[in-house]
Amino acid sequence: MAYQIDGIVVKNRNIQSSYYLLELKCPPIANKARPGQFVMVKPSSQNYPLLRRPFSLSKFYPLNHPDKSKRGQFSILYKKVGLGTEMMSHLKEGQKINLIGPLGNGYSLPPLPSSSTIILIGGGIGIASLLSLKEVLKDHIMFAFIGGKTKEDILYEQEFRKGKNTTLYIATEDGSYGEKGTVVKLFVSRMSQFSSDKDLYVYSCGPSGMLKSLAKKLIRKRWFVQVSLESRMACGIGACWGCVVKTIDSNNPYQRVCKEGPIFDLKEVDWENL
Amino acid sequence: MSIGKIRLKNPVMVASGTFGFGEEYEDFFNLNELGAIIPKGISLKPMIGNPPPRIIETEGGMINSIGLQNPGLEKFITEKYPYLKKIKTHLFINFFGNTEKEYVELARRLNDLPGISGLEMNISCPNVKKGGVVFGTNPKMTFRLVQKVRKVTSLHLMVKLSPNVTDIGMIARSAADGGADSVSLINTFKAIAINIHTRKSEIGNIIGGLSGPAIKPIALRMVWEVRQAIKIPIIGIGGIRKAEDAVEFILAGASAIQIGTANLINPGTAIEVIEGIRAYLLQHQIPSIQNCIGLFKT
Repeated sequence: MAYQIDGIVVKNRNIQSSYYLLELKCPPIANKARPGQFVMVKPSSQNYPLLRRPFSLSKFYPLNHPDKSKRGQFSILYKKVGLGTEMMSHLKEGQKINLIGPLGNGYSLPPLPSSSTIILIGGGIGIASLLSLKEVLKDHIMFAFIGGKTKEDILYEQEFRKGKNTTLYIATEDGSYGEKGTVVKLFVSRMSQFSSDKDLYVYSCGPSGMLKSLAKKLIRKRWFVQVSLESRMACGIGACWGCVVKTIDSNNPYQRVCKEGPIFDLKEVDWENL
Repeated sequence: MSIGKIRLKNPVMVASGTFGFGEEYEDFFNLNELGAIIPKGISLKPMIGNPPPRIIETEGGMINSIGLQNPGLEKFITEKYPYLKKIKTHLFINFFGNTEKEYVELARRLNDLPGISGLEMNISCPNVKKGGVVFGTNPKMTFRLVQKVRKVTSLHLMVKLSPNVTDIGMIARSAADGGADSVSLINTFKAIAINIHTRKSEIGNIIGGLSGPAIKPIALRMVWEVRQAIKIPIIGIGGIRKAEDAVEFILAGASAIQIGTANLINPGTAIEVIEGIRAYLLQHQIPSIQNCIGLFKT
């Protein structure tokens, strides 16, 4: 079930460099959302920009959430890159914005209760969808790897550091913070400690180049690995077939990021053609 | 109001390729309210579609090259049709082939499906060699194909026309002469968007089809030209996103309209257009939208 509904802006602020956090009040969406799902946002009520923009739900607070003040709210993390996000950055508290959501399949969660070990690997703004996943899986042993081009691209470090079971690793490509290099390189350098672990659940979200290099390292392993993919979208609801990615399913190679995804098993994706 | 022998509860249809197989929209409004549903185009055999990227937004529009991805007739009948036939409105099945034989075979088999009001024959998809644009840009081939399909179906036969022609009136006349009950126009305009950094097309298949508000004035002109060329009903398509747009098409000579790209942006567009047309009729004290067809003063 998805809703087309107005959300009310609770807060919209620049968190660092060109990254913004938009907090919205929208109980139907907040109440139905699962980690890894997304919403389609219409930045303008006019024809320009014409299409909605997809954004991962970074955090959501259902109506039974312990923090009463946040119930019925969710947030999206966005980077100001074009006209649509530029318009969004001007949204003020109390303004309405039209939404469709929650959409997509969301991450598959490990069976509970279990002794599973969780690994999160996020690049840049890709950490957005991992924030809510971390919240849901907080009782598990967790290793989080986050990275970006520079220190400016490391988002929500404190959130990822939270929790007694969590170990956080940080990488920046220019070495301005954490270890120098890509987050995938950092993960690979620590991978040997997980090699014997059967109950291992790996979740990753980031730019396609990052996911491709991760796939190269993990495709032959028998691990449970899920990735969140991005694509240009028009409808977000499975109607137009514009957002497909190529998978290894030979009968039905092109699958919709908005419907069959955005979360795919790493082994499903045809990485050569991504 | 009606097109041919078919009575419609309102003149608002949803265009093939922008409405999935109906079920994608059930969360957003009551599908029974629509004048008609035209689901995604069907071929005899499944088609995997074109390589991504398949869409790019342009100013006031979008270019797509989906490549008519569809499950094929068999799977359509077993997996998609049971849902569609339960919707209490007219169902037109959009179909296309690679050869005359494929068109005829599909029309013959669709003719036997209960609960269908009509067929929309696609001779105008710009994105695949199949999809019939070879037929839809040549008046003689349009005539021959429509005539052959006409012989195997008693259903309402709507022919969807391409705007990528010199004289759309001539193609419309060929379709009418071949036995079409109505024509729907237009399909998308062949278009390109170039990424200046990579110097490649923004579309995997290089060329795509332009749709959205940007094309509305051209679509409107084409409907008006076709109105002067033929007598059978016209279904107007092209950039309609609000009731005022729909009324323009009807004044230009369309008997009904289809909502396309706007469905993708605002899933409830069709309902808003239906309500807006009612308000227009009340405001001008016109009993039925039928009274407005072709009232464009020149």
